[in-house]
Amino acid sequence: MTAGVSLLVLLFLLGSSIAVAAGMGLTGVLLNNIYSSMPMSRIVGELTWSTTSNFILTAIPFYILFGEILLRSGTAERMYAALVQWLSWLPGGLMHSNVGACALFGSVSGSSVATAATIGVVAMGEIDKHKYNEPLFLGTLAAGGTLGILIPPSINMIIYGVMTDTSVPKLYLAGFLPGFILTVLFSLVVIVACWWKPEWGGTRIPTNWELRMKLLPDLLPPLVLLVIVIGAIFFGVATATEAAAVGIVGALALAAWDRRLSWRMLRDVCENTVRTTAMVVAILVGAFFLNVIINTIGLTQQLSKLIAHYQLSPVQVLLAVVVLYLILGTFMEELSMMISTIPITTPLMVQAGYDSVWYGILLVLLIQTAMISPPFGINLFVIHGIRGRGTLSDVEKGSAPFVIALLAMIVMICVWPDIVMIAVRWFG
Amino acid sequence: MQKLQTAAEGISRVGAVVGGAMLLVASILICIDITLRYTLSITLGGADELSGYALAISSAWGFSSALLSRSHIRIDTVYVRLKSIRARALLDLISLGTMLFFFGMVTFYAWGVVRQSWVADSHSLSAIEAPLVIPQGLWFAGLVFFVALCLLLLVRGLLSFFAGDYAGLFASIGSKSALDEAEEEIAATQHGLEQEKNK
Repeated sequence: MTAGVSLLVLLFLLGSSIAVAAGMGLTGVLLNNIYSSMPMSRIVGELTWSTTSNFILTAIPFYILFGEILLRSGTAERMYAALVQWLSWLPGGLMHSNVGACALFGSVSGSSVATAATIGVVAMGEIDKHKYNEPLFLGTLAAGGTLGILIPPSINMIIYGVMTDTSVPKLYLAGFLPGFILTVLFSLVVIVACWWKPEWGGTRIPTNWELRMKLLPDLLPPLVLLVIVIGAIFFGVATATEAAAVGIVGALALAAWDRRLSWRMLRDVCENTVRTTAMVVAILVGAFFLNVIINTIGLTQQLSKLIAHYQLSPVQVLLAVVVLYLILGTFMEELSMMISTIPITTPLMVQAGYDSVWYGILLVLLIQTAMISPPFGINLFVIHGIRGRGTLSDVEKGSAPFVIALLAMIVMICVWPDIVMIAVRWFG
Repeated sequence: MQKLQTAAEGISRVGAVVGGAMLLVASILICIDITLRYTLSITLGGADELSGYALAISSAWGFSSALLSRSHIRIDTVYVRLKSIRARALLDLISLGTMLFFFGMVTFYAWGVVRQSWVADSHSLSAIEAPLVIPQGLWFAGLVFFVALCLLLLVRGLLSFFAGDYAGLFASIGSKSALDEAEEEIAATQHGLEQEKNK
């Protein structure tokens, strides 16, 4: 009952286009007034201070900063150009570079919108030049952009980890293999499509080893930096936040080496980072407040009673949650969808017997699906915007096979949870 | 009133840049800390604590910057389907009003946190024993500025609403659609590319 009321109040407030941060806070205040006699509002001051000065959460602005520096120093574009030479022999040519560059750049930038926009702007000119099938090409960009939140380091996983008391390094370990498999799956979609209709694959791009070697300096340094950052977390040398700090200093060094460092660039980087961070933190302030209220009014216990009462099997709970997100994803912005529902769905899944690390990965996959499925998929809008011609349905059509790949991935981790958990057991 | 807003825009811009610089410095401090830890087995201590303060202060000051650029996320599925311009404007005012209410509440109780640290002369439980009132004071100032900005924009929004100036209202507090956001992201990327070509 309480769970239903909470969800309804929340959805009503958010649906009336109230800012998500305030909507969640207000839901907390209302629930507290209905169900609890304690003046919980008083804790909001202490809670906001302890949340926003939390060292683990510092990783959020750090990864945003890391991505911003790489973005504004032109590293991403040069990386793409190099990947083109290295991956163009595959059937489907450039489309694999799209997926690969998005996977690499997206993993560090932590923002799928920025990833899709950056790689999209660079790649778009190539459609006509090499006569690719347009919808499929656009699909690789929209879908590739979503890989960043699954492949570590991912900001979404930090938020999930802190909100649910789940270890962020474990989430990172868990995300790696699914991220790799999904990248391969996306490439497979392109290969199968181009094998079925060879004309979709465009004209072959001339390349040779000399050219590949010449472009290696554009590809290797960011790649090495990425390996250092992820490796440091995996082997316990540094925490996720410390690794991000190393990444920032490394990216600054790369930018300085390429002579792209300037005061103007640094100022833009700082301003943009703080603006994006503040947007995320504002939502977190509302969410943490709501989270505490939900715990004090005993929602978690009620959920477990509910499961016992209706004798719901874990599979039924899982199906209900998956369907809920597929529906929410059609109209909600993805980040706020994730943050606002975590306090309700995570206890439900944990009560039903699922591991919170595994659920975190499932959640990220569901959010990725939401990003590229119509009618509301932020990446579809971005790619359509860059293209500046044709209709949105071309992008939707091209993304459809990748939505199927994502759904296949979701089924895979449900059937074989080990895909997610094996790395956690080995290294964790 | 326009003057007041221009001044507020200037302050929030400086706040954002300084906040970002704090984060940048914090990350460099952490790197130095790690390097010393693995080479000389010394820990400076406090770098993680300071970066936590940097996050709290920069996000409190960043709230205003995000508000002015209309970056605070709103779910606009219903909003964009409303035919009536008046109704949309009303929703914009309600949204800003709830923002003012919730963060007004946060700021009100945040004062208690700062006052407590001041009265008890609290220091952090760490090697650097930072007097908590300094970071908390800066954090609180950012929150106060944000609440004042909400109030200013709300008053201006109401004036525009009653004067029938909906265009002005949307420009300052309207909901930014996903398409607008996509366009801004694209414009930023293309701008970067052009700069590169000019070099």
